Amino acid sequence: MNILMFTWEFPPLISGGLGMACYGMVKALLSQGIKIDLVLPTKEMVYFPLRQESDVDTLPAVFLDPKQHKEFSERTFKTMNERLEYIGISSHPESYFSLRDIKRYSTAVKKVYWLSEVVTNEERDLWEEMTANLIGEEDLIRKVQEYTLRADRFARVLDYDLIHAHDWLTYPSGMLAKQHSKKPLIVHIHATEFDRAGGPGDERVHKIEHAGMTYADKVIAVSKYTAQMIMSRYRIDTGKIRIIHNAFSIPDDSVMTPKRIFKGPTVLFLGRITLQKGPDYYLEIAEKVLKVHPEARFIIAGTGDMSRYVLRKSAAMRLKNRFLFTGFLNRKQVERILQAADIYVLPSVSEPFGISPLEAMAFGITSIISKQSGVAEVVRHAFKIDYWDVDLWAETINHLIENPDKCTKMGIEGMHEVNRIGWDEAAEKIRHLYSSTLAEFIRRPLT
Amino acid sequence: MLNIIFYFQVHQPYRLAHYNVLDIGNGDKLFDDRLNGQVMRKVAEKCYLPTNKLLLELIKQNEGRFKIAYSITGTAIEQFKLYSPETLDSFKELVDTGCVEIMGETYFHSLAFLYDTNEFLDQVKMHRELMKQEFGYDTVTFRNTELIYQDRLSDIIYEIEGFKTIVTEGVDRILQWRTPLYAYKNYSKDINLLLKYYQLADDIAFRFSNRDWPEYPLTVDKFVNWIDHLTLGETGGKNLFLNLFMDYETFGEHQWASSGIFEFMRHFPAEVLTRKHLGFATPKDTTHLANYQQESLSFPEPVSWADEERDLSAWLENDMQKNAIETLYELMARIKQKGDPELLRTARLLSTSDHFYYMCSKYFQDGDVHKYFSPYDSPDQAYIYYITALAELEERILG
Repeated sequence: MNILMFTWEFPPLISGGLGMACYGMVKALLSQGIKIDLVLPTKEMVYFPLRQESDVDTLPAVFLDPKQHKEFSERTFKTMNERLEYIGISSHPESYFSLRDIKRYSTAVKKVYWLSEVVTNEERDLWEEMTANLIGEEDLIRKVQEYTLRADRFARVLDYDLIHAHDWLTYPSGMLAKQHSKKPLIVHIHATEFDRAGGPGDERVHKIEHAGMTYADKVIAVSKYTAQMIMSRYRIDTGKIRIIHNAFSIPDDSVMTPKRIFKGPTVLFLGRITLQKGPDYYLEIAEKVLKVHPEARFIIAGTGDMSRYVLRKSAAMRLKNRFLFTGFLNRKQVERILQAADIYVLPSVSEPFGISPLEAMAFGITSIISKQSGVAEVVRHAFKIDYWDVDLWAETINHLIENPDKCTKMGIEGMHEVNRIGWDEAAEKIRHLYSSTLAEFIRRPLT
Repeated sequence: MLNIIFYFQVHQPYRLAHYNVLDIGNGDKLFDDRLNGQVMRKVAEKCYLPTNKLLLELIKQNEGRFKIAYSITGTAIEQFKLYSPETLDSFKELVDTGCVEIMGETYFHSLAFLYDTNEFLDQVKMHRELMKQEFGYDTVTFRNTELIYQDRLSDIIYEIEGFKTIVTEGVDRILQWRTPLYAYKNYSKDINLLLKYYQLADDIAFRFSNRDWPEYPLTVDKFVNWIDHLTLGETGGKNLFLNLFMDYETFGEHQWASSGIFEFMRHFPAEVLTRKHLGFATPKDTTHLANYQQESLSFPEPVSWADEERDLSAWLENDMQKNAIETLYELMARIKQKGDPELLRTARLLSTSDHFYYMCSKYFQDGDVHKYFSPYDSPDQAYIYYITALAELEERILG
């Protein structure tokens, strides 16, 4: 089975959990015999034909332009990085492709031509919704425009049975591919605009999300929590929605032996410092705990639009040198801070899934997670608390600090539990969904 | 007679390394030796060495009629020894002329006066001993860090044997209608007070190379004429003092050599000395030169020479600064209880006021000055390195 997959993130192109999730999922799917042509927002017009498990790390690439591909394949690269640079991948998604190269979308999009192939009025409405909202001067919107224009080419040139698109940035591409190929489309919801914005967010993004999910044949939600959101906020046909929880596979080269940094109990917040993740609740929790346990340290690892606010607030609250900032951490540094933590907290206001707590649990760290998260549905050996109930968060942390044996025990139980949550099971479900969708599709009456 | 008192502040802090949480406990150095060496060598080359050479020449030429004063911090002396010993030698040569006064202050250029009186006294004593040891000089004039002063400071300094004079900023809200040209007394009339004449001092220190300033370019002739005019109001034969206090780095660092600042200074003393009612003095001379009943001035609130506000807001305005300094002095108290000299030295190096200056987030013009002097991208970044360093220090205490 050949899948045309669109995603915005894939290691080493990662800004959040999406890349990690796609990596684990694709690797497991490959091991189950699925062939995947992956399209990423690379600078050069390439796709990645992934055929075996190891391809997720080596990322074999093909240029759409045969001349360019010849040049590329005749060239020798000293390192993997050099090769990725050539294609236009770096670890910072901001540098995918230069905006200078983007033609004006409004003139480039052949809206009329797209619509000419549309059959029903319902379809027409969805196309109108998508094209009318993919308009704007923001860098991200323009990058999505460029990505979508390219998808047009990929959709025509490549050979595939089914299309799989991750999150709204790639929904227009998925729609386009389905339009051309008449092949079924599965969209995968890792997060909605409501989660990311912690409020209403950008209406254009809602509309694109709505159009994509409605146009798709199947919608994968990463949790019940997300499925609920899709049904209530986007009114998507319940029959199309499948819940397939994300999983977590610890990278083989991870060093997980505990190695303290601080002599006192160490509490860790690891993630983007943005409203969605609840960093302001973390501050309040820290303040309450430090009143009882001034020997504790609270670490906030990551960056985000609220970094400055949290920094200044922590000083205003006089949290002394007990509330510390690591800034952005790379993969190895994340491991280092995990080795040093006793308690992991995820006080997210809205978390569709949340892979990071699984990683923390794999390190044997006792975790406290927001009830408003998908990950709370899949783990038992973690404390689950409403994000707003700061008193309960503080009491729980105090309790763990006062009962270190209990904390260790909970951490070990959590570790055992997480080790059983692998991507294989999730990939199996996805493979079944591919098959059943294809079967339905083949049986559908011709229009 | 109007006596011009040049006093130059010489200071270099130990700048912190870009310290990260993940570095804690690794035994890494807290301070950026490479950067500190680099800065010291650069400033020595651009400012200290050429300016010392010039001033030595001027002192020799004028045979005792040209005098200057310095305050040199302990952290500057230490770093001269590490990175530019020839600079220290050239200062010694200057002191040996007998036309140079060396002033007392805190060894670490700290804000200890505001947080811990015993620590303040210790640092003043350390500095005094260092001046004796390096220059054979007994300090009798005191300047607190960045000219920070309030009534309480004079009480403390008066208790220390030997100090007769304190220098500070001529702040308008204290002086009101008075002129900073007279020598004053502190509120209890125990100590001699000299006040910086900031308008003229800042013409040299801040405005000298500013092409948007209507008086640009500042010539020796023009400047000496302005000084001359200051004396017109005083006809009773009283000795006046024009206190031109500034950072030593004004010469060649803040005002580049290409601005003509060295040429200005080269010709300034000769022009002054052609006028018979103008001369030079050092702060300690004022105790016997003041030939009148000195009015006493009260400073209930602290003042300083920094920024438009001339208060403590350059170091202690925002929450980052306050959280950082309060945490430091708490740790310092714990270290003293524990009695670990190495940790105490580290805490003291962290007490240098520059660390808090880098965290200043006042915007507008003053913010620019702060940015110019800061080795970090932003006040927030400076705070992160500092508070992380304090976490390292605390782990060492617990160690």
